[in-house]
Amino acid sequence: MKLRNALAAALLASAAFAAPAMAADLIAVITPSHDNPFFKAEAEGAEAKAKELGYEALSLVHDDDANKQSQLIDTAIARGAKAIILDNAGADATVAAVEKAKDAGIPSFLIDREINATGVALAQIVSNNYQGAQLGGQEFVKLMGEKGNYVELVGKESDTNAGIRSKGYHDVIDEYPNLKSVARQSANWSQPEAYSKMESILQANPNIKGVISGNDTMAMGAEAALLAAGRKDVIVVGFDGSNDVRDSILKGEIKATVLQPAYREAQLAVEQANDYIKSKTAPKTEKQLMDCVLINSANAAKLETFALKP
Amino acid sequence: MRWVGAAAVVLAALTLASCKIVATSDVKALAETGAAKGAAPFDPDKMVAEIWTPKVVPHFEKRAGSFVEVRNLAAKSPDEAGAKYGYRPKSDGSPWTVMVRLEGVIVAADTESRAATIGVDASGQGKTDAAVQIGPAMRGTAIRDALDFVSFNDFTNQIDFARYGKAFNLHVNKSVLEKLPRDNLIGRKVSVVGAYALGAGDPPLVTPVEIKLGPKP
Repeated sequence: MKLRNALAAALLASAAFAAPAMAADLIAVITPSHDNPFFKAEAEGAEAKAKELGYEALSLVHDDDANKQSQLIDTAIARGAKAIILDNAGADATVAAVEKAKDAGIPSFLIDREINATGVALAQIVSNNYQGAQLGGQEFVKLMGEKGNYVELVGKESDTNAGIRSKGYHDVIDEYPNLKSVARQSANWSQPEAYSKMESILQANPNIKGVISGNDTMAMGAEAALLAAGRKDVIVVGFDGSNDVRDSILKGEIKATVLQPAYREAQLAVEQANDYIKSKTAPKTEKQLMDCVLINSANAAKLETFALKP
Repeated sequence: MRWVGAAAVVLAALTLASCKIVATSDVKALAETGAAKGAAPFDPDKMVAEIWTPKVVPHFEKRAGSFVEVRNLAAKSPDEAGAKYGYRPKSDGSPWTVMVRLEGVIVAADTESRAATIGVDASGQGKTDAAVQIGPAMRGTAIRDALDFVSFNDFTNQIDFARYGKAFNLHVNKSVLEKLPRDNLIGRKVSVVGAYALGAGDPPLVTPVEIKLGPKP
């Protein structure tokens, strides 16, 4: 009891003097480029939670470059980070980098993207992309009236999320023989790349009725190309739940997307890191899924920074 | 290794008849059939076929609650209903998947869509209390998600985990649903054992593990 009181007092004291002289423990937050609002929201969610829990946060971007990611992990190690929150640059390429941090005594908590190994990171918190893609696929089928030609824009191949979302879409769409895929191309999650890919797909296949996209930035690129070509009639469905796509839905342009709880995932990762730093408690299971929510004109107005307002 | 795995499954099947605890070795055996460390090629259909009769069906038989009871309890307290009749891997971000025994009369049937469903009136009010997927196309992963002895942790990635989830749907479709007649279903009595995710839709969409049709009216 005495010990617990002392501990409580110490905790209170450390909370009271969180800011001053003695440097706070560091948590490194490493994500892809903040050009995509999804990764920006993630980084901000993690930083906000880290600060709230009394840490200093170091936010870095690897630009989907596994070599750069490896250097950033070195930076985190050199700076003496207590934990790394990581949205990684490749399911295979990242294993060694996380291993390196682990060997240096720094636990990694992965968000959004998986790696193809367990027992290396302490947590892998990812959206239930298959469940989300089935929701998006069902909405797409409904919007298409169960028939017509469509295009699929796929994400970056090194990212498991590109494959799993495509599988979730197809497990639904392929049940409808009158829905015909006329083009399936990767635009590497990129908005400008999706714009130019969409332009050339449209030239070769003017008779398309819909576009289903593996994420929102590609959906935005495709929608812009379609609008520029005067094709307001083409149905576009995305994945992520960004504010950009929310606004597009509210304007009657993009028809639907799937919200990933990105902000919450990032915060949860920091909470689990904090539990580990303070009391050496690792998450009960390493691989954790969080369910997604369909967003269309009915609920888009409630969407803000990758979370639904009550 | 194979033999040990098979022995573990048999052993667990024997134990299961009297007891609900699942041996850890059995979960490992499940993973070793290919999911985790990649010795044998990943074969979700075979993995599901192997556990269906010895483990999955008995698990549902044991845990399922009467649909009306589960629904009413879930309306008051999802956590209570989930803990009593279902499973979820963790509290943050994943819904409960509950197991139910649904008895009633078919009051609606959508057999035009490949994702066919029947609407079942379980409370005698003449309207659909629950929709039941009857295939051939089936949505979601409710059967997989109801099983507390299955963990995402044992799979290489979401793609393998999704294929495993779909394998349960394919199995129930092939072994149970394909034999079901599609015509003149309305008015017939039906009894279903199955699972649905809490809060995923109204009426709930039940994925069956077993389904029995009454005689034609």
